[in-house]
Amino acid sequence: MSDIKKTSLHDFHKSKNAKMIDFAGWSMPFSYDGTLKEHNYVRDSAGYFDVSHMGRLRLSYSQIEEINYLICSELKNIENTKALYSIFTSEQGTAIDDVIFWKFEDDLILICNASNTNKIKSHLDINSITYEDLTSTTDLIAIQGKNAINIIDQIMTIPNKFSTFKENNYIYARTGYTGEDGVEVMIDTKDTMDFINMLETKGVKPCGLGSRDTLRLEASLPLYGFELTDDISPVEAGLKWTITNENDYLGKQIIDEQISSKQHKHLKRFKLNAKQIARTGTICVSDGVEGVVTSGNISPILGYPIGYVLFKSNPADDLVEFDIRGNLVEGNLIYKRFLN
Amino acid sequence: MSDTKYLETHEWYIVSENTFTVGISDFAQGELGDIVFVTLPEVGQEFSKGDAIVEVEATKTVAEAYAPMDCVITEVNSNLETEPELINNDPVGDGWMVKAEIKEMDDSGMSYQEYESFIS
Repeated sequence: MSDIKKTSLHDFHKSKNAKMIDFAGWSMPFSYDGTLKEHNYVRDSAGYFDVSHMGRLRLSYSQIEEINYLICSELKNIENTKALYSIFTSEQGTAIDDVIFWKFEDDLILICNASNTNKIKSHLDINSITYEDLTSTTDLIAIQGKNAINIIDQIMTIPNKFSTFKENNYIYARTGYTGEDGVEVMIDTKDTMDFINMLETKGVKPCGLGSRDTLRLEASLPLYGFELTDDISPVEAGLKWTITNENDYLGKQIIDEQISSKQHKHLKRFKLNAKQIARTGTICVSDGVEGVVTSGNISPILGYPIGYVLFKSNPADDLVEFDIRGNLVEGNLIYKRFLN
Repeated sequence: MSDTKYLETHEWYIVSENTFTVGISDFAQGELGDIVFVTLPEVGQEFSKGDAIVEVEATKTVAEAYAPMDCVITEVNSNLETEPELINNDPVGDGWMVKAEIKEMDDSGMSYQEYESFIS
């Protein structure tokens, strides 16, 4: 396809011999040294990810009331230096997208999934919220890992966890999608290569979308299009903790009904004691309740297959039988996070 | 011993008298990404040409390796049980998968040169 989008680092990725994949209309690095190695760079030390495919919109602070009505979390009444994970909900209470807001005194940066950028823009348009699309003029680099903060401390001021900062040409927050500490930095495309060179000099390794997926799954973090969709509410996805909006918001009535009735789909974590991976779409049964795997892969740290499964209702048992290509494989539901 | 031959389904095999050794190509392991689990057949199991004999789970996807000809399994590479990454590191050497007795010879695989142009 000729209209595939490229980040400003595209040639750099190619020079690093990255295996490229098409993801949500973007040509993105899947891996450089291999997914497991990159997974371990983050768990043991530090890695950086080009996540510039994600949508970045600047919104004026004056629209905060209107934005607050479209998400299930309280954005208006949190401090002006906070980063907030939240979900745009539909009238039916389902997820339009899960996003991050970086809250500043004068403006808000909204970061959405690449696959949903156009959907979010239309949603804002319909609700008469104006924005400046920064996706093509900036890059977004995530630096994540056990040692990420120690390394980043040599380059920029480290904000508190889930807090934002602006310094020099960096707009950033101490957030991430790997279960490790780190920062996500928005930077003008003209400055990105200098920043990457600085990270490389300090031994931070490039990581691709392959390890980003194994890391987020192992860290028990949902991925839109899999654990969350236009047909799944935050309650169903086990994200009740995001529902902090004290005011009225789109879909509130249905979401409140789900919370009180508990009559809804249930997303659960599972593990397998097998050598097969129950991948997306695998059918399973627990206690007579049918489920479908939303994501599944090996946990490199735990050494066994893990994943998420969406059940039609809440199964009473923690034993699950998966139909993996015709073989019945037993697994267990996990009520804690995969990694502590 | 004959030359290493390749199949369109990305296995390699080498015939030696009435047996062959089979594995997956370097190209195949590269496409699969990190291999994390391998399910091997039992010694003595019989397969027809084209049957799935080995299941390979990788971080990116799952794949099967197919029998290059009718055969009976005589040996499996049990090192793959604990070190599936051997397939990534040395696909046409230490990453071999199974050895089998040939029931009906079919040495119609591609040469390396033919395979190279097939994948490019």
